[in-house]
Amino acid sequence: MSLLAEAARILLNGLQTGAIYVLLAIGLSIILGTLKFVNFAHGALYVVGLYVGLLVSQETTFSQGQLAEFGFGTLGLDLGFLAALIIVPIVVFVLGIAMERFVARPFYDRPDTDQILLTFGLAIVAQQAFRVLFGGNSQSFSQPEWASGAVELPLVGGFPQWRLWVIAITGLLVVLVYALIEFTDFGLTVRAGTQDAEMVQLLGIRITRPYIVVFGIGAALAGVAGVVGGPLTVVNPTVGTDVLVPAFLTVVIGGLGSIRGAVLGGLILGITQSFLIQWSLVIPALGIDYGFAPWSQVGIYAIAAVILLVRPQGLLGSEVEIS
Amino acid sequence: MHVSDEGANPTETEPDRGETVGGTTGTTPLSDVRARWKRVRERESTIIGLTIVGVALFPYLLVRAPVISELLQGYQKLASLILVWGIFAIGFDLLLGRTGLLSFGHAALWGTGAYAAGWLSANVVQSPLVIVGVAVLFTVVLSVVLGVLSLRRGGIYFAILTLAFAQMIYYMASAPLAFITGGDNGLTGVEIGPLLGSFDLGTELPSVAGTLLGTWRYAFIAAALVASVAAILRILNSPYGVVFRAIHGNERRAEFVGFNVRRYKLAAFVLSGTFAGLAGALFTVQGEYVPLASLYWTTSGEVVIMTVLGGVGTLIGPVIGAGIYLWVENVVSGGYPFDWIGPYWHLVLGLVFVIVVVLFPQGIWGVVEDGRAWITARLEER
Repeated sequence: MSLLAEAARILLNGLQTGAIYVLLAIGLSIILGTLKFVNFAHGALYVVGLYVGLLVSQETTFSQGQLAEFGFGTLGLDLGFLAALIIVPIVVFVLGIAMERFVARPFYDRPDTDQILLTFGLAIVAQQAFRVLFGGNSQSFSQPEWASGAVELPLVGGFPQWRLWVIAITGLLVVLVYALIEFTDFGLTVRAGTQDAEMVQLLGIRITRPYIVVFGIGAALAGVAGVVGGPLTVVNPTVGTDVLVPAFLTVVIGGLGSIRGAVLGGLILGITQSFLIQWSLVIPALGIDYGFAPWSQVGIYAIAAVILLVRPQGLLGSEVEIS
Repeated sequence: MHVSDEGANPTETEPDRGETVGGTTGTTPLSDVRARWKRVRERESTIIGLTIVGVALFPYLLVRAPVISELLQGYQKLASLILVWGIFAIGFDLLLGRTGLLSFGHAALWGTGAYAAGWLSANVVQSPLVIVGVAVLFTVVLSVVLGVLSLRRGGIYFAILTLAFAQMIYYMASAPLAFITGGDNGLTGVEIGPLLGSFDLGTELPSVAGTLLGTWRYAFIAAALVASVAAILRILNSPYGVVFRAIHGNERRAEFVGFNVRRYKLAAFVLSGTFAGLAGALFTVQGEYVPLASLYWTTSGEVVIMTVLGGVGTLIGPVIGAGIYLWVENVVSGGYPFDWIGPYWHLVLGLVFVIVVVLFPQGIWGVVEDGRAWITARLEER
């Protein structure tokens, strides 16, 4: 394979890995930027997306967990993947709204530390509830039939079709959310609220309604990340935190509250990861053939550390510090 | 020594309702005794003395005492495990409860202490004192690096960054450095030699000490806990501790007064990391094995839960939290009298944690203290 083809493949894989981070990071970032609320339970919303998607799109046999013990071992509506792609965001959007109303709002005036502790506790409760219901073992989320298999691309050659769909769906959603925030009256209120919530209220605009919607949208994006990412990973209760940490990193290196920052951060992390997975240092003269795949997870943190040392406010973040 | 105690004490205690009332009435012998007891209780030497009595009685009550030990179903290993995590939690509280910084990366420090101790004992030296000492030094160096990186940004960033860098260390240990750490299998081949070359850690202490404490291993860990409590008391009552409290109270004001807040935060982080490393090393001494999970973020989460559950900003609270958490994890999850709740122990702990955060942010010990203050106030009214 030529060097160019390899680079294109790394880029595509990186875009796909980054896409999941971007979907999670946008939600985290706009919630953090507008509502100043730190949501450690964002990974739990991703897991909700995974399980609801699994239950809507196919029939799954759960061998462990309380549901299996009560005789509901085989569950699922078997409506297909498109149905999941529509139903999951709605379900998680409603969940997000409930979360804003009953979890976040009473805690807006409490210190950041308390918000983190509360959402961390909820993340544990959610994870354990899923474990009790569905068991702790991993399920497989099958790809939709219309998008499984490989597709022939120029230059790259065969490439898994579903990964391209993940990139496309993410791109579409990012554009939609960006347009919503940048070009509508709703987005104007939200951005104004980010700058100075008190002033917006003094102007007679009720700020709580846009806020609740922002939380819902952020949650729905995490749910979508669960559905589109599901076929590429395993489904079990603990994956929430495995994606939460890179998503937080994406927010931090992109710059808080910035959608463009989240996209840029996600792409940097995704491409770094896919580069390290595929790259190996080969120097035949010295007999060196060292694959960097074991460093792929470490690499994203190292990149983040470097970016933070150079630009503490994130790549596209403003100098304003939220406290 | 005494002079510095007196000097530090007025800042140490907030004016307490019971005390003030007692001071003004001050005539009845009862309130006189109570005021004197309060003064004695707050002396460092009294707290250290009470700690010694506590750790001496604890394993007896948990493991060997009639009735109570049968109710608790404790065992010797659990007693030492609770003390190890207790050290971790009071060190963690130096950061969360005293300085107001929430770290989600203490697993990195605990795990590094544990791995350093394990690697040393498997490859270099078996003396427990040397192992623990070197492991602590190693952790201190790492705390400085992690602290500098994570304190680049204030506020919420600290929790996120500590979590992120701790995960980085976890992934380093899991794959690229597996030739040192043993990867997913954990670090095996740990062998801890006798204490000071003559006391085997697994054997029982002689006579009464054996009945109370049990093994030399427990005695070693208990001594470390007492030393930690003494060290932390000294830190809290020193000018440094006062600055930590000032930062906790109002960071901006501390900054305006002229303190270099970031430097003091770094100091608090490194001090806290030192105790995390000590506890991690003792964890290796206690279990003679280092699981990879000791570096995983769940370990950070556990120490957060223990500290908050027991009560932040107190000395005994985090230890109580550690005791309850580990007792539930190891005994309640096990079956017989608890088999109706056993499989859900983690879910239940999570729910209890959420309830504590929402309704009782001062934790279990805080509730006890409030109750005591209430009773004292009632008594004074008489």
